[in-house]
Amino acid sequence: MATDVMIQASGVTKRFGHVRALDKVSFEVKRGEVVGFLGPNGAGKSTTMRILTCYIAPSSGTARVHGHDVFDEPLAVRQKIGYLPQRAPLYTDMNVWEYLKFAAEIRGLDDSTFRKRLSKVVEVCGLAQSLGKEIGTLSHGYRQRVGLGQALIHDPPILILDEPTSDLDPNEKAEVLRYIKEIGKDRTILLSTHNLAEVEESCARAIIVSKGRVVADGPLDSIRNKTGRVRYVVTIDEKNAEMGKRAPSAAEAQNAFGAISGMRSSRELPTDETAHKIELIGPQDTDLRAEIFRLVVTKGWTLLELRRDAQSLDAVFRDLTKGDERLDRGDAWAAAHAPTDEDDEDEEEEDVASPKGATADDEDEEEDEDDEDSDDDAEEEAPKPAARKG
Amino acid sequence: MSPMLTIAKREFRSYFDAPLAYVVMCLSFLALGFMFFMLRGGFWQVDRASVQKVFEYTPWGLSLLVIPVVTMRLIAEERRSGTLEMLITLPVKDSDVIAGKYLGALGLVLVLVLGTLLYPLAMFKAPWHLGPLDLGPVWSGYLGLVLFSAASVAVGLLISSFVESQAVAFFLTFAALGTLWFLDDLAEVSGQGMIANALRYVSFQTRLSGFWRGLIDTRDVIYFLSVTAIALVVSFRALERRKWA
Repeated sequence: MATDVMIQASGVTKRFGHVRALDKVSFEVKRGEVVGFLGPNGAGKSTTMRILTCYIAPSSGTARVHGHDVFDEPLAVRQKIGYLPQRAPLYTDMNVWEYLKFAAEIRGLDDSTFRKRLSKVVEVCGLAQSLGKEIGTLSHGYRQRVGLGQALIHDPPILILDEPTSDLDPNEKAEVLRYIKEIGKDRTILLSTHNLAEVEESCARAIIVSKGRVVADGPLDSIRNKTGRVRYVVTIDEKNAEMGKRAPSAAEAQNAFGAISGMRSSRELPTDETAHKIELIGPQDTDLRAEIFRLVVTKGWTLLELRRDAQSLDAVFRDLTKGDERLDRGDAWAAAHAPTDEDDEDEEEEDVASPKGATADDEDEEEDEDDEDSDDDAEEEAPKPAARKG
Repeated sequence: MSPMLTIAKREFRSYFDAPLAYVVMCLSFLALGFMFFMLRGGFWQVDRASVQKVFEYTPWGLSLLVIPVVTMRLIAEERRSGTLEMLITLPVKDSDVIAGKYLGALGLVLVLVLGTLLYPLAMFKAPWHLGPLDLGPVWSGYLGLVLFSAASVAVGLLISSFVESQAVAFFLTFAALGTLWFLDDLAEVSGQGMIANALRYVSFQTRLSGFWRGLIDTRDVIYFLSVTAIALVVSFRALERRKWA
């Protein structure tokens, strides 16, 4: 079936016992797209990917990959995809070459094709130095590369990568993202992550899932605009000012900017320069940059930077997936844990780790394991409230 | 090479990447040697050119040590470490996974079983000639051992496909195969009657004893083959269960 739709899920629902892990998930991925599949831990990202790779079957709904139904033609689907499961589970007793050879043999590649593909994969994934090494001795980053290599060995048109960057240090992350960009030039890639910066770096489109539902789907810009707010960042010199005027204190500047009509909020951002960096949130339909500039000129402050961007994806993400765990824990929890706004937001990022509550223990076991591992990532995004799981 | 054989080859080779296989093989050969020559006078006491004792003692070691060790990790370990997901999402059928793993494990067990061929060869051919060996019971004895191994490995695989921990798989297989073996002795204790007959009917030991004497009974052959087939089919279902759970 010649089609431009490479991955198509329509009304995919997955129940584990009485827990609904996926609820009528529908989306399409077209040829050549690199799509970020985004959501808090336990939102159903892995479940979706497992369905697309025919590891588990949907309870209802259908999914087609490269025109083949995942239920009726699992082998045809698997031939067309390269899949990297979460945490790249590889046979640790094999060396890298053996493993790639094993994957190639199962996929029915003959020797000369394997050799050709191997040299390409080794080049793209940077495995030249480690071909002879036992996988058990490799660092996470290298295992991830081997996993990628395994997924690429048969030159598949579609790649499905489940959190390819979790567990990696920042350098390795950047490396892996670079590979993904590199290999994404001529392939369709569905990439799951809960790290938003990665999506911004490597994908043009994102699908955000929360609690088993698709809550947003579209180009990053339109997702950013979803909440209808625009963010400005203004940096003012804190020592010097123009024309003999006095440099403002942080509070002064913050208040002055906040007073601009239409401005919704203003707060100081941390900075290591000798400057005040202030973040302002304004409405989407008007551009307040001119107002800000005029204010700065009138006051005689030294403007170091003025930037306007759509609201950060982080904030959109939090907005869209908010309330997940409050629902889960019930009102009692919300009442007990709703002291400050800020605190709440941190919890948001972290607590979605167990969104389905105690009832979901059975099916969540696997997912939860994964979550423990990805805590490192989450930490970068938000400070972790102490003893949250107790 | 078909995916099934690729999986079987990988499984078989992986035993030799770890010391466990070597340790188990050495231990079981030592134990067999001890039992054959030393235990209660051993071979010398029998005073006949027969290696029947090899066939009597080898299943002990296979049931209680070798097969539990060889099969414990087959599916359980892969499920725990997540490699099962990686394996199954390659273009392989679930039945390829089960059959491949089964053949890999059975291959190792058969290497061990065939290793015991050293006894009749060394004792009655070269370098020693301890007497004229009746070859009939030797062939039938080995046929019995192979059938027994096939059924026992399938039972081990079945257990491994239901649990997540290697250790649990080991002990359950140990218990299951031990029970299937010693049911015969239980039948002795319970005397005659329905129960004893039923116990003898399922006991691997009773089923094997004919082979030792050179008797190939199709009922015994069919029995071992049926156990193998049923265990493999149930393992396959257990693996498939992940789709719906």
